Amino acid sequence: MIAIATIPPHELPKWYEIVLTSPFAWAIGLVMVGLWLILPRGNARGRWFGALCGIVAIGLLAWHVPRLCGWLDESVFDGLAITVVVACGATISVRNPLYSAIWFGLALVGTAGLFLLIGAQFLSVATITVYAGAILVTVLFVIMLAQPEGHAYYDRLSWEALLSAVTGTILVGMMTSVIGHATSGAPLPGERTPGMALEIIHPRGSDRLASVSVAAAGIAEEDREAGILAEEHVAGFGRELLGRYLIAMQVAGALMLAALVGAMAIVVHGRRTDGRQAIRIGNM
Amino acid sequence: MAEAELDLLQNYLTVGAIVFMLGVVGLIARRNLIVMFLCAEMMLQGVSITLVAFSRFHNDWGGQMLVVFIIAVAACEAAIALALILMLYARAGKLDAAYWQEMREENVPPYIDREVPLERLEERRWPDLAPAGVAPEINEEEQSHRSHV
Repeated sequence: MIAIATIPPHELPKWYEIVLTSPFAWAIGLVMVGLWLILPRGNARGRWFGALCGIVAIGLLAWHVPRLCGWLDESVFDGLAITVVVACGATISVRNPLYSAIWFGLALVGTAGLFLLIGAQFLSVATITVYAGAILVTVLFVIMLAQPEGHAYYDRLSWEALLSAVTGTILVGMMTSVIGHATSGAPLPGERTPGMALEIIHPRGSDRLASVSVAAAGIAEEDREAGILAEEHVAGFGRELLGRYLIAMQVAGALMLAALVGAMAIVVHGRRTDGRQAIRIGNM
Repeated sequence: MAEAELDLLQNYLTVGAIVFMLGVVGLIARRNLIVMFLCAEMMLQGVSITLVAFSRFHNDWGGQMLVVFIIAVAACEAAIALALILMLYARAGKLDAAYWQEMREENVPPYIDREVPLERLEERRWPDLAPAGVAPEINEEEQSHRSHV
């Protein structure tokens, strides 16, 4: 803080001052420390401190993104988003795969709530039914079948926890900053020109690097009410799915059939032969 | 109104990015095959959130349709992956991805666990259940690992 105060005002701030005074940079740094501490590293030291770092980082990131209009929308969204992120963090950090699967189920429920909030009602129900109802139960079944005791040394270790945390930090830092810059050139309210261009502003705010044409920024509320946000949501969804995307749906059905046959073939083939012989036959 | 939609889009994209990032970190860091599978599903969830947000923003059904197909592909993936995991488990007796490191590239050095952490006593906690029925005989051989599924 002293170094910042002594710098003459005409001098441009150095990079470390930008980093030190930016809550976004602090959030990214805390994400890295938190991820590194909560991943299994052989000992359980610092896990709670890591979780605390992660929560502070989530708070800083939430402060970084703009508020939604309406306190009800905002609080519901915040609750769901924090549920999803915390549950996902717990999924990758808990030692027991059974708890991992259950935390993932909570993340799925939160995601379904997020879908519902944004007007994707069918997808919300489909997420609960297919993911939480079918896939997650199958995963739990396999865990029970394969690892009922739930305590194994490889659950208390990670491949290179620090490098993974750095990778994830770089990834989320790039993505959130690009998202922030791409959506920062917000059009004025009431401005509804189709093909409106959103500017990507350089961090210094001095020069414009590029502009992205976002054709949809000027969509009127009435169009939205007639489209995605229509009252008969599932009817419109089904019309689209069975009309424009009919071929794709047939292909998806064929894919599911093939996957089903493939899964059965894997199990039957693995059962019939034994050990290395099966691998050799499978490679031929 | 357009500004509110942009704010909504940015909020959803940020959540989607964080969920995707956590999935990536889990996939590359964890060693349990089932947890790795869950992390791959988590990455799909992050992409789904992004697609639904864009679908709302552009007032286009395309994003939601893509999410439907993501769910279909995820179901296929679950069937195949879990069958494979079960078969790998039947061969190896454990769900460790490092067990299958013979399949690595030729010039990659083998991964050796430098220290295998011991289980602490407080982690070996079992739920308190009321005893019922006769206690089954414990097979000593199957205490360390289960040879058959």
